Amino acid sequence: MQDDGTARSAEPAEEDFPPPGGAAGKARGGRGRALAALGVFGELLITLGLVLGLFVAYSLWWTNVQADRSAAAASDRLRSSWAAGPTPGPGGSGAAPGPGGAAAVPPPAIGDDVGFLHVPAMGRDYQVLIRMGTSTAVLDEGVAGVYEQPYRAAMPWDRTGNFALAAHRDGHGARFHDLDAVHRGDAIVVETKDEWYVYKVDNTLPETSKYDTGIVAPVPASSGYTAPGRYITLTTCTPVYTSRYRMAVWGSLVRVDAMDARRTPPPELRHS
Amino acid sequence: MYGWIWRHLPGNTLVRAVISLLLILGIVYLLFTYVFPWAEPLLPFGDVTVDGGDGASAG
Repeated sequence: MQDDGTARSAEPAEEDFPPPGGAAGKARGGRGRALAALGVFGELLITLGLVLGLFVAYSLWWTNVQADRSAAAASDRLRSSWAAGPTPGPGGSGAAPGPGGAAAVPPPAIGDDVGFLHVPAMGRDYQVLIRMGTSTAVLDEGVAGVYEQPYRAAMPWDRTGNFALAAHRDGHGARFHDLDAVHRGDAIVVETKDEWYVYKVDNTLPETSKYDTGIVAPVPASSGYTAPGRYITLTTCTPVYTSRYRMAVWGSLVRVDAMDARRTPPPELRHS
Repeated sequence: MYGWIWRHLPGNTLVRAVISLLLILGIVYLLFTYVFPWAEPLLPFGDVTVDGGDGASAG
């Protein structure tokens, strides 16, 4: 709305130029035409500036509005599908064969919502929907995306592997805007239908190349981990407002809490 | 350019002002709905993933 104000205030300025093709323009011939052309050129520059300003507003504000809206709707859908009852399938949760129950559920496909990410260091009540895939279409919906490539991320319930996530630093929900506020020792909690997976941050990488795919490997490079384990990796771009480098936060699983009927959060998420 | 448009709008000053406002709003709508979403992936501000080198497909 304020852009309209600027656009309108720019209009009087161009009236200082003689009207193109007017009496003055004819009388002075080429000079008047040159001035008119200069005036049009100036107006085009003003227009370009306004359009760029609008693009900034679009990138940093409007995409957040859209992403917040669609992520909130998808979060509600996931929570109500959880509340609707046990694991989908006619046989119930225990019918399908598989050790530990985890293998009974089919692996999530790209685009599926699998749970919520809680990181108290990024704000009280910080909660982000987790969706499979890291394509632009997925991440632009204001979710944290699970890497499918270059390495297929392990899910939290897998016996070993790296649960690697990406999200936008700015725009489209800017879910990992404050990822640099997460430090060693901070808690990262993944909430699924039946469990709380509590991780502790072991290491962070403030800046690396965007080609450094090793940071999302099953045993992440540069993380200090040397043996397979149950890890979590959060990645986004850095510095803010650019995509020049990537940053990463690594954590390892501390414990798994079973979900009670009232979905009581683990102590890490309780406000004292 | 803007002066030319203003002179070619019909009606008195008030009507012209209203039409101008509608034109501006329409252009902003088109930009936000079609132009910016198209232009955004072409610009290097929203790539947050690490990938194996083809930066264009980064998310």
